[in-house]
Amino acid sequence: MIRSPLTNPYVLILPGFLLAAFIILWPLYQLGTISLNDVNRFGQLRGFNGVENYVAVFTDPDFLGALWRTFIWTGGIVFGTLIVSIPVAMILNEDFYGRSLARVIIMLPWAVSLTMTAIVWRWALNGESGMLNSGLQGIGLIDQNIQWLARASTAFPVQIMIGILVTIPFTTTIFLGGLSSIPDDLYEAAKLEGASRWQTFREITLPLMKPFLNISIVLNMIYVFNSFPIIWATTQGGPANSTDILVTYLYKLGFRFGKLGEASALSVMMFVLLLAFTILYVALAMRRERT
Amino acid sequence: MNKTALKTAVAGVALLSMMGWAQAETVRVTVAEYSSKTGPYFEEAAKAFEEANPDADIQIEVVPWDVLLQKLTTDISGGANADLSIIGTRWLIDFVDQGIAAPLDDHMTQDFKDRFFPVFLEPSVMQEKTYGLPIAASARAMYYNKALFEQAGIEEVPDTWDALAEAAEKIGALGDDIAGFGLQGKEIETDVYFYYAFWAYGGQLVEEDGTSGLDTDAGYKAAEMYKSLIDSGATQPGVTSYNREDVQNLFKQGKVGMMITAPFLSNQIKEEAPDLEYGVAAIPAGPDGDRGTYGVTDSIIMFENSQNKELAWKFLDQLFTTEWRAKFTSGEGFLPVNPEVAEQPAFADNADLKEFTALLPDARFAPVIAGWEEIAATTSDAVQTIYLGNGEPKATLDAAAEEINGILGN
Amino acid sequence: MNPKLKKSLLYWALLSPLIVLILFPFAVMFITAIKPANEVLSPTWWPREAAWRNFIDMWAVTNFGNALWNSVYVSVLSTLLALAVSIPAAYAMSRFRFTGQGFFRQFLLVTQMLSPIVLVIGLFRLVVWLGLLDNVNSIVFVYGAFNVAFTVWMLQSYFSTIPKDLEEAAWIEGASPAKALVMVFLPLALPAMTVTAIFSFINAWNEFVIALTMLRRQESYTLPIQIFSLVAGRYTVEWHHVMAATFVATIPVAIIFAWLQRYLVRGLAIGAVK
Repeated sequence: MIRSPLTNPYVLILPGFLLAAFIILWPLYQLGTISLNDVNRFGQLRGFNGVENYVAVFTDPDFLGALWRTFIWTGGIVFGTLIVSIPVAMILNEDFYGRSLARVIIMLPWAVSLTMTAIVWRWALNGESGMLNSGLQGIGLIDQNIQWLARASTAFPVQIMIGILVTIPFTTTIFLGGLSSIPDDLYEAAKLEGASRWQTFREITLPLMKPFLNISIVLNMIYVFNSFPIIWATTQGGPANSTDILVTYLYKLGFRFGKLGEASALSVMMFVLLLAFTILYVALAMRRERT
Repeated sequence: MNKTALKTAVAGVALLSMMGWAQAETVRVTVAEYSSKTGPYFEEAAKAFEEANPDADIQIEVVPWDVLLQKLTTDISGGANADLSIIGTRWLIDFVDQGIAAPLDDHMTQDFKDRFFPVFLEPSVMQEKTYGLPIAASARAMYYNKALFEQAGIEEVPDTWDALAEAAEKIGALGDDIAGFGLQGKEIETDVYFYYAFWAYGGQLVEEDGTSGLDTDAGYKAAEMYKSLIDSGATQPGVTSYNREDVQNLFKQGKVGMMITAPFLSNQIKEEAPDLEYGVAAIPAGPDGDRGTYGVTDSIIMFENSQNKELAWKFLDQLFTTEWRAKFTSGEGFLPVNPEVAEQPAFADNADLKEFTALLPDARFAPVIAGWEEIAATTSDAVQTIYLGNGEPKATLDAAAEEINGILGN
Repeated sequence: MNPKLKKSLLYWALLSPLIVLILFPFAVMFITAIKPANEVLSPTWWPREAAWRNFIDMWAVTNFGNALWNSVYVSVLSTLLALAVSIPAAYAMSRFRFTGQGFFRQFLLVTQMLSPIVLVIGLFRLVVWLGLLDNVNSIVFVYGAFNVAFTVWMLQSYFSTIPKDLEEAAWIEGASPAKALVMVFLPLALPAMTVTAIFSFINAWNEFVIALTMLRRQESYTLPIQIFSLVAGRYTVEWHHVMAATFVATIPVAIIFAWLQRYLVRGLAIGAVK
């Protein structure tokens, strides 16, 4: 074999490693330091104070509420996206008139920044001037304006729905890729043996799609857990913190109330939480695959 | 010539002699974006300043209001703050406590001080030093829709909250999409909208013993009054989905009989709904004649770590000349903070503004307490809970007061 | 009625609720954008007259051209940066077995998990320390770094599908590894690189929190920040301008999508699971 820097894997991964490590690990180290210190609102350290910041976060009742809602938020969007995306991907995988157009439309939300989507929805959900109410009235579904964002019982489901809508394109794309990798003869064989559609789906499609389902669940979990603009632009976590999730709570803690120490502690905790979940999920998924 | 003035003069001369050979000196200024006119105004001021001082370079950084505090916080924590910045005066205490804002007294001459109404300069005086100059000031008054008043047969503009409730119910009965009283229930200043009634019932945000005043009769009565307005349909439905701007939009559309807000609504109405017939009146009084409007000032401060304090001050000096003040104040629709500006016909003959300035003796400013933003957020949460009917006024306010007492350190 | 037509009608019917939901915000965007200023607040579905002028006014009022240029600059450069460091890394991951490979893989997964908002306080200190505050180039570096994980991961799974024999054959014929890489390997990997580049580009194009924190002056704002600043805490919001700006900002990416959508599917299919 010829010697060349191109055959040394360490040389090859070095630039990528350095760039990522420098821009991601260094700030992480900073956060860790801040979280263990007494810190004023401008981030100037005022001495080591152990786990006090962590305790302060844990004993805040708003934290537990936000934590619980984060689970609903993440679970709701990841699961909801899954339920919608599988049939959508299966339809888009079939050959029918206007399929390219349908694919483009389904992918469309991906093309818009989340911030802008959230701003548009906020405007559309406005009680009096919003076009959602006037649209629903127009088709006779409601006869009175609904104040969507006035209380958590309507606002949070709407936010989850927006979350699902913007997560569908990525998920569907992955599923489409998965479906196109399933060889057609498998289906034909199943047809010859007289399998029903449902059986084909359960026995062939689903098992072969599993790696794709897993990867989309892990990635979506990470993205959704960290997603900030939808809730921030529509309700800012209100009314009365009833739509706060961890990231919006983190933002308020750090930048509204100037508790940078607690905010850093929360950042670290969120990171650990996410890490634990991903490891757990990956381990589970892999074990099931092996058996 | 007193000592301070002398020092200033000496420093000024020293600076001038340096200017001869110094490289261009940069002064960075962070400004809050009040409207689409803010950026261009400051750019123009910077350009004029640079023309007069060819060696100076003024950099204007326009920041949306919502993220101003965040930007300042991260800037300061990274040691990358500007030389001058606009801040909410209610944040100033934190800046002073941490030694971040520089006292300005050494620069200020008596003559300079006389350019301001004392009432506006006062909030930025701490520990007997002046840390900020009022760049923007506003107070709140009640706007009312004359056409709706006429339709509902109301002849007198309500001067008490009882009268307001009565009028609001009459107007609310005019139609499904008409509301008597526009009640803000979301985002910035939701707590303030509650204070209007709270003050009228004789409440005080911080009692004399240093505890929160929310758990008093004034708090309970104000909350019950607002809640009964909501329940009787006198307000717009779903108040907790309306921020200040949303309620103003309702008013501009003629869908709301009365609302309380700042002078800049007049400017907006002039531009967007010129046909709307409206009036401006005092915020209603409580049973004992108490009333209070909210006075807000934003200050411009100089940072302690600024390398170019003299030049920065010079730029401030230009900003606070009558010409530049008048331009800013009329463009944004704020109250004049300088007597000379207030005397100009554009302000002196403005009937709406007169109502606001008449209220100034009753103006209450956000108390100077570290952690005020958190207290405001706690109060907003509590009143939202009450508006939604998720909690009894007394129990909710008691809980909020307890939490606030914790923040106050009692 | 032929079977395909029947099938098509059925599928379109099944998809229609979702399509309506997806198109709804775009309709809101477009209709609000062409409403005259005095009609914006009334929720009608069609303006009495279309105010196309809004787009021209918006361009001037919102400083749009400048923000557009910044967005393009940041997105293109950060994509190139991410690709430049990821291609060799992905090549190494797919072609060699080496000590520390598992560590590197885990490291990538960890970096993937950190969202900018969680790191923003630390990132800011880094950028200040580098003296890159208010410099769009700082954003280029941060976006580039955040995209490394995803691009390496996508590329290496695709690279693994390219048979090793091809390069080895080139080596035997006397080509240097560098030459073999450029002449034989990279052309084969082009589709994967395109797809990966699109992802990087879109992530950068849409990113919000980092840009919000690092950019100070309006001259350096990217599109999402510029548009956000039109609604954030102003005393009055000109919704027709906001929506016009949003609409125009959306078009370029939507077109890229429509055009490259089929490659996207194919690329992801290979990239996602291997």
